[in-house]
Amino acid sequence: MGLGATVGADLLAVPFPKMVFDLASAIAKGQTALDRASLGTLRVLANTEFDYVPEITEVISEGPKETVGGVEVTGVDVTVRPTRAIPLTLLQAGLTPSFYQFTESVIEVKMSISSKVSTQSEFEFGVEATASAGFLFASGSVSSHVDFRTSNTYSYSAEGSSLLRTTLKPVPPPARMMPRFITVNTLVQPPQITTSE
Amino acid sequence: MNLESYRMYLIAVRGGLTDEKSRDLQRFIRHHEGFILMVTRTGPIVALDEAKSTLVSNHPLVEFMGPVELNPRGFAARQLESIFAANLGKQVELVYDGEDSALSS
Repeated sequence: MGLGATVGADLLAVPFPKMVFDLASAIAKGQTALDRASLGTLRVLANTEFDYVPEITEVISEGPKETVGGVEVTGVDVTVRPTRAIPLTLLQAGLTPSFYQFTESVIEVKMSISSKVSTQSEFEFGVEATASAGFLFASGSVSSHVDFRTSNTYSYSAEGSSLLRTTLKPVPPPARMMPRFITVNTLVQPPQITTSE
Repeated sequence: MNLESYRMYLIAVRGGLTDEKSRDLQRFIRHHEGFILMVTRTGPIVALDEAKSTLVSNHPLVEFMGPVELNPRGFAARQLESIFAANLGKQVELVYDGEDSALSS
């Protein structure tokens, strides 16, 4: 198999569809958990009442006059009259649960593939000649050798890293989850109706 | 003090709110640089660094903790805002150091 084919096979081996599915599945589970938590907050807000005093009237009236160091000081009486307290839930008052939404998700896969092929060859050639001569004879020999050595080194490495990143942002509460407040004021004629989200 | 990561949370106290539980929880929140905005019958409404929300939600006195927002069109939003501001004012000190002013708790 050629080197290019190996690299291609390694790239194809990245489990991209599985990664996308796992991320999407995790986001869906996370979103459900977040929505459940927000609905839990909504329930607590709707069940927590406090006494809302819309107005406090302060009536300043003349009080008994006093004389301080020979100077007559006008006395003042302040009567505080709070209006009747209205039991109001925190939701009615204006507190709403925060809702979050995954707005952006990124899968980043980084692969580093390196391959190295090195060939080393050694060639050696040698000739050896010996000759000897005597009174009656003479001899000679020639020998030669050829050495050829070759080695191939093949190295291949593939490294990969993946990064999953999601962005979570607060969003306005879904319209169908939040109650609409309809106030009917029967103190005026005809009754005045105001609607608030 | 960086307040960018601060969010508002509603806390429901486990087993109903008592003065003692309220004090203990408030001390714990103040210890972790949080602020008490209001105390309701369910529990306190606090401003807390998002990074420390898990720490507080794992407190044994906390039954439930959820992030909340103030809807400016709410029936008593203005009054709630005033209550929050008044209570916050008791817990922070504005330090003026020349050009910028900084919050310190």
